[in-house]
Amino acid sequence: MVDKSQVLSLCRSLLRAGRKYPDYNIREYTKRRTLDGFRMNKNLTDPSKVEEAYAEGKSQLEVVERVVKVYLAYPPKTKNIMELKLQ
Amino acid sequence: MNHGSSRVHGTREQLTSLSATSLSCKAPSARSIGTSQAKPETVQKVSDIVREQLALSADTALTAESKFSALGADSLDPVEIVMALEEKFDISVEESDAQNITTIQETADLIEDLVQKKPAAQAS
Repeated sequence: MVDKSQVLSLCRSLLRAGRKYPDYNIREYTKRRTLDGFRMNKNLTDPSKVEEAYAEGKSQLEVVERVVKVYLAYPPKTKNIMELKLQ
Repeated sequence: MNHGSSRVHGTREQLTSLSATSLSCKAPSARSIGTSQAKPETVQKVSDIVREQLALSADTALTAESKFSALGADSLDPVEIVMALEEKFDISVEESDAQNITTIQETADLIEDLVQKKPAAQAS
């Protein structure tokens, strides 16, 4: 059975991986989707459902790590206007 | 632990207002806890981020001893808060440390500890 600290650790790993995207849009999307996904499932009690959700999270983490490499190979030449505003 | 630390914290606030150097903030007695007490500015910065993250109204009382759970945070809010703090202070928080903080003071103490350990000569 996956425990709470593993779930939080997975969430953190996903957020950390998503931070590496040079593209503003996908970076923000990953962060939002991760948190939404974890919040949506936070009240699950059935062990098999928890395992299922955790496994899905893990596979998504692999996807993010793989896709980050592709994005880093072709970084955007200019900053997104949303990033300029935050500065 | 809470009673002792608030008294020491009060004394340190006076010290901070009198002197500009950060060295004077670190009284030897605080070291016994593990990480030393954070400066009030750090506590304030942490509080601001917590307030924003938990969408607290301006009149919600927020002290250094405030527990995240008491402020209406779920178990994922500290994760987000720690991420935001990592970006703001340009530090990296260990998994074990991140899962053990429950109050604003603890968070600020951890942040300061990590900021000081940073090798680069960046001003925080």
